[in-house]
Amino acid sequence: MKAFTNINVSSIDEAVSAATQASSNGQSVAFSGGGTDLLQQLKDGTDTSDVVINLRNVDGAKEISSASGTTRIGGLITLDELSNSGLNDVLTQAAASVGTPQIRNVATLSGNVTQRPWCWYYRNGFNCYKAGGDECFSVTGENQQHAIYGGGPSYIVHPSDLAPALAALGASFIVAGPDGERNVNANDFFVMPSQDPARENSLASGELLVGVSLPTPAANSVSHYHKIMDREAWTHAEVSVAAVLTMSGEIVESASIVLGGVATVPWKLTAVESYLVGRQLSADVVTMAGQMAIAGARPLAKNAHKVPMTSAAVERTLLALANG
Amino acid sequence: MGDKNKADTSLNPKQRSRREFLESAGTTAALASAVPVLGISTAQAQSDIESTAAKTRIQLTVNGSRHSVDVEDRWTLVEVLRDQLDLTGTKIGCDRSECGACTVIMNGKPVYSCSQLAVWADGAQVTTVEGLASGGQLSPVQQAFVENNGPQCGFCTPGQLMTATALLSNNATPNADEVKQALVGNLCRCSNYNAIVEAVVMAGERSGSAV
Amino acid sequence: MSEAIHIGLDPLNTIGNATARVDAVERVTGEAKYSRDFKLPGMLYAQILRSPHPHARIRSIDTSAAEALPGVRAVITGDNASVVWGAGSVSGGRQYNDPTKDATLHRRYIFNNPVRFVGDSVAAVAAIDRHTAEEALALIKVDYEELPFVLEPEAALEPGAPQVWPDGNLCPDFRNNFEPMVSNLGDVEAGFAEADKIYEERYETSFIHNAQMEPRAALAHWEADKLTLYSPTQGISNCRHDTARDLGLQDHQVRIICNYMGGGFGNKNQNQDADLVAATLSKQAGAPVMLEFSRRDDWLGVHGRWPTVQYYKIGAKNDGTVTAIQMRGYSGMGPYRKNSGGISGMDVYACPNRLRSISPVYTNRTTSGNFRAPSEPHGFYGVESMMDEVAYKLGVDPVEFTLKNMRRPTDDQPFTNYSLDEVITTGAEQFDWASRRKTTPGSDEGPIKRGSGFSFMMFRAGVGTSSAIVRVDAQRQYTLFVGVTDIGPGAKTTMGMIAAEELGVPLDQVEVVAGDTDRCPYSVGESGSRTTIQTGYAVMQAAKDLNQQIADSGMPTGSDVLIASATPNPSTDGKTRQCFGAHFVEVEVDTRIGTTRIVKYTTVHESGRIINPTTARDQIRGATLQGIGQALHEDLLYDPASGQPLTTGYYRARHLTHLDIPEIDVTFIEVDDGYGPFGAKTAGEAGIILAPAAMANAISNAIGVRMTSLPISRDKILEAMA
Repeated sequence: MKAFTNINVSSIDEAVSAATQASSNGQSVAFSGGGTDLLQQLKDGTDTSDVVINLRNVDGAKEISSASGTTRIGGLITLDELSNSGLNDVLTQAAASVGTPQIRNVATLSGNVTQRPWCWYYRNGFNCYKAGGDECFSVTGENQQHAIYGGGPSYIVHPSDLAPALAALGASFIVAGPDGERNVNANDFFVMPSQDPARENSLASGELLVGVSLPTPAANSVSHYHKIMDREAWTHAEVSVAAVLTMSGEIVESASIVLGGVATVPWKLTAVESYLVGRQLSADVVTMAGQMAIAGARPLAKNAHKVPMTSAAVERTLLALANG
Repeated sequence: MGDKNKADTSLNPKQRSRREFLESAGTTAALASAVPVLGISTAQAQSDIESTAAKTRIQLTVNGSRHSVDVEDRWTLVEVLRDQLDLTGTKIGCDRSECGACTVIMNGKPVYSCSQLAVWADGAQVTTVEGLASGGQLSPVQQAFVENNGPQCGFCTPGQLMTATALLSNNATPNADEVKQALVGNLCRCSNYNAIVEAVVMAGERSGSAV
Repeated sequence: MSEAIHIGLDPLNTIGNATARVDAVERVTGEAKYSRDFKLPGMLYAQILRSPHPHARIRSIDTSAAEALPGVRAVITGDNASVVWGAGSVSGGRQYNDPTKDATLHRRYIFNNPVRFVGDSVAAVAAIDRHTAEEALALIKVDYEELPFVLEPEAALEPGAPQVWPDGNLCPDFRNNFEPMVSNLGDVEAGFAEADKIYEERYETSFIHNAQMEPRAALAHWEADKLTLYSPTQGISNCRHDTARDLGLQDHQVRIICNYMGGGFGNKNQNQDADLVAATLSKQAGAPVMLEFSRRDDWLGVHGRWPTVQYYKIGAKNDGTVTAIQMRGYSGMGPYRKNSGGISGMDVYACPNRLRSISPVYTNRTTSGNFRAPSEPHGFYGVESMMDEVAYKLGVDPVEFTLKNMRRPTDDQPFTNYSLDEVITTGAEQFDWASRRKTTPGSDEGPIKRGSGFSFMMFRAGVGTSSAIVRVDAQRQYTLFVGVTDIGPGAKTTMGMIAAEELGVPLDQVEVVAGDTDRCPYSVGESGSRTTIQTGYAVMQAAKDLNQQIADSGMPTGSDVLIASATPNPSTDGKTRQCFGAHFVEVEVDTRIGTTRIVKYTTVHESGRIINPTTARDQIRGATLQGIGQALHEDLLYDPASGQPLTTGYYRARHLTHLDIPEIDVTFIEVDDGYGPFGAKTAGEAGIILAPAAMANAISNAIGVRMTSLPISRDKILEAMA
């Protein structure tokens, strides 16, 4: 690994000012929660940060608290803690599906939501959009794992499991920076390549994700995270579905369905959501939902398999919720 | 047709006498091995040829012993354990959190030591494979690995043992599915998975709550 | 604890009883020292600079900045270190043959120019610590002239293809002739003429990295003109000889030490360039040098199983008799040919008309080489998928088809024993083949479809030479000296058990000394399923000799010892000696998302007398799982435009985890055919040979479409269903 300077901080304020200080010295900065992915990138040379700000000892940013209809989750909560938190199923299941126990013991919510893409071009050091270059090698190359929604000019799939779950829950993303804290909704937090192909989220330099805020789930709310992987564990989603429904008996009152593993950002299925409202989750309805989900899919030369997988995954997620 | 299922002889007599040697020698036994030991202790060997990069002093408690080590920011915990503390039982298989060979127990939880910077582990309690046997006695899961052919090439074995040890301290009698879930972050290319799972289940069945 | 089922022989005193490894305690306590665990006074750390290009001429290398970096003690390149790596590229792939190495046309050095694959070594640095060594690599300036490259074997043989070597891309045979490897038996044209039906198909299989958990390392240390190498090797004797040869030394000037090594499955044979680079750096720096490969270094710089393309043409009669088998195959060897490129499997059929032509081809991908049963799993997948297809098309049960067409002993070629009927019928019964297979493939309704497949084999278990030394002292403590390193199957224990049995003493009275060429005699090396048979036989003979000495002169007294040494060269009296096996698997395929799960996996093997039931059981289970990984997941994808490898490492290649593992039932049919040590054969490679074929046949049976490309990943299944 190249030499870098590690700074241990014990508060978010300290983290932000350390980052600001380093930047003003002309140094590049990375925030580190669990650090698993960051270290990998530093070793591979796809991250060349001069300064690493270690957030492991930060207090006050890993707790879960509820007040007046919202639940705030500190961004430095580990995935293991989150998976055992008793919060919404879609969120705990998504957290439990990441990596392995060793990874979940240190990896954080913030780190998972803001991880860089796992595209094999980017991670193998190609000078693509994600590395600050000006092309996407997957377009005419090996794109088996790339996006069927929202692609162009980059076609990476958003790598996070928590992101679609949080988006489905209507979470807002709490960002801390030199100018203080601000709340950002999912639409504004996640950035499509058509807006800026170099980034996946709207964090500015010196800013970090310090938490999320969710509306406390309604009593009649059910949720589920369905993840399809190429082996039984330790892999990013080929396709995933985060679904939150509120039910009135057997009728869907509201639906929030967000895809992972297939799009450049967490992909909300607004047409499917509208379709389901007022309907029962019968086999026909569920099948139609699956079809509607893929109506807008635009496969590349080698990822057409993601299309039937997506409709199957949407159907199965809804069936899982229907059967309780 | 022979009876192959002789659980009582599965610890062969040579292993029994080996265990007795361990018991009599105590926890700090320097055990004879077939390979002549040419190395000398790290501190003496390296003192004249160290790099001049900036270092931070950290404290680590490893297998119950306190250590003060001067480390570069970029050194990983596994490098420090192996190179500075001479605890080479923990292996580096990939250095990328993709294989699990470097698993240690840090502050009670199994983690990939290749992906912890030493400076992040300042003040931590760490257990490595060298810390499992106690008073010359193998731990129940080590013993089960010996009997059920847990190690083939043996390279993933320390990592598997550490994760299994952490599991057994939280769930004393796991079934095979629970073992697989807990150990999923430890690969074995010899693909000795079935024997490893059997051994961990067996260790749980035997020892109940003891680890 | 689950035991294999054993049928046929009773255990002896030691042999045949479940036995813990003699070094199990070292392995579970962390005391076992692997090559990278050693530290010598003044030891330096080394790293290798590798080519970022798939094919390029090096115009110049400037190492001055690297040499000037504080802490750097030696830098070597092709300019100042021209060391041949004899085993790195051999005409005909004959890695054991010194005369062939001397005459090899396409010689490989530790640093080559041009560089011929992404990862080809360019330079090496030794420094006071590994981070300094790594930083020094970045300071080495290499001026490359990029050249065109080719990645696929068939493309490499087309006119106008980029030339990996100036004389073309077909690998020369051991006589340096540029010809495919051809085996022509009987008359296939006549066979096709008498057939009722002719079937043709193309199969392809992927590169499979050996992916052993221990990345390559080498610790080199010179004392005057004697070199000691701590190297993870499968054969200390071969490693010593090859290293001495390549460095211009005599064998006795090289000592190889390897008491524990973390797997290899065939990529730690002979010597490796790591050994030579470490030795050269160490000589130059005047200090011990520890060269460490990263996982990516290992993935690119060592080797994996050759990818293949196989074209089959089968002639058959309506009654299911095969009249002709023809195969034209291509093996992608990378730019250096370490091994054969073979594609085996046809010869398990009795059909007298068999024509096989295999072209091993140079490509600009990472090197291919031996991986557990080097010529078999991909070849058995090809031919047994083909035969499975023929059977179903003719309306014949594949098991019946096999029993009708499989090779059997003849007057011209007798076997030492023959168990294939019993192996197959036992497996079929245990598995309940009749109920589990779909007589109409793909007939399950709904998207979740089950089906079953089967594969069978015979595989070489021939005898050969090796050495052993046994010693006894006045305390009746026996010491066995054998040149094994125990790569996973438990060789130290197996050899100890054979000695104990023959000596008539308990195992704990026998100490096994292994892994050091200064102390241990020649061993053929743990590869090719030979250690139990060959070294084990030498152990038995040495023990017999010692028993005779004891009978003649009594036990030694005082400080005296008795020593017996044996290097037998047995024969099988003109008979062929084979082990036998059959695998049966039922799968469940989710055809909407392309996932395959295993419902039941049954294996039956006849591997002679089983020395240690515990380690043998896990050889079968482990090898079978590797074959399942080959069938479903593993590959090394390259970007066609740039020639860059995209999927190195465990995460990318989706190696099986604990949660992916099915139960695997193991049955050993035991026979003592009067050869080998106590009738032992081999179990190390047997399991992997059958798994890809059985899995592919099961998936095809489930979904009703023949799967002609490995790995059978979800996208291929979804494409088949579309």
